[in-house]
Amino acid sequence: MIRNINKKIINFLIIFFLAIQFFIYFYNQRPLSENFSQKDITVENFSSIVLSKSGITKIGSKKLNKIDEDNIYLEGNSYLENDEYKIYGENIYIKLKEEISNSNKPVRVVNSMGVLKSKGFKNLDNEGIIIFKGEVEFLID
Amino acid sequence: MINQILYLIVSLLFFSTSYSDSYVKASDTLIWDSENKQYTANGDVEFKNEKFIAYSDKMIANYIEENNEEIFTTVELFENVVIEFKDEIFKGNHAIYTKDDNIIILTGDVSIESPTRLLTGYELIADIDNNKRILNSADKDSLVEVLLENDSKN
Repeated sequence: MIRNINKKIINFLIIFFLAIQFFIYFYNQRPLSENFSQKDITVENFSSIVLSKSGITKIGSKKLNKIDEDNIYLEGNSYLENDEYKIYGENIYIKLKEEISNSNKPVRVVNSMGVLKSKGFKNLDNEGIIIFKGEVEFLID
Repeated sequence: MINQILYLIVSLLFFSTSYSDSYVKASDTLIWDSENKQYTANGDVEFKNEKFIAYSDKMIANYIEENNEEIFTTVELFENVVIEFKDEIFKGNHAIYTKDDNIIILTGDVSIESPTRLLTGYELIADIDNNKRILNSADKDSLVEVLLENDSKN
């Protein structure tokens, strides 16, 4: 009698745990059917990497403001770093889709030729062109 | 004593950050075109290398990459070109400098000014390494070659 009860309990527990596992498996595998899109996100002490024509570019800032899906604004001290250059500035706008970044604030750039300082910049990354605006001083190593 | 040491350290730091053999300065823009390996400077351009200082309204410099370093191969200067080389001043409307042979070619209302003379012409070829200047006149019929004294040799 006791043996039968134990068997039933064990069978029940096995079925119960299998059901739980199946439940977990099913809901873990279930694809997300909704698109979450949140505008005006702000992140402090932000850093990330972006894949562009000039390779992997590391970006970072004191404060990141996501304007919309394709536009972000790096507020405060910010940087863009990749194998070709390191740009240190502030208040940098980035158009992700067009691969364009720009700032009207003083900027310092380090590349394999030297160190450059200017009053602002516009980086057309997909064309491999950076325009430094205002008074520019480029000290060559 | 400590003050003197601190002053020396600060001076050395300032000197090391402010001094550079070569530079480019511009008042309007500097465009770095990494695909065409070119820098274009606009507005009151000042270019200095280990040989000379040049001033112009615009500059286009081409470079190559060697051992992860960018090196200027040619420097082209446009409009109101003034090049100061030791005690000489070259002027012209256009100039091109090639690093390989250290030659500067100036064209358009060219002049060479030195402490003792002023020569004018249409085209100037300044061979820096061989210390030779060739000045062509505007009508291209006559040729003036000026050999400088040996004490100004590089």
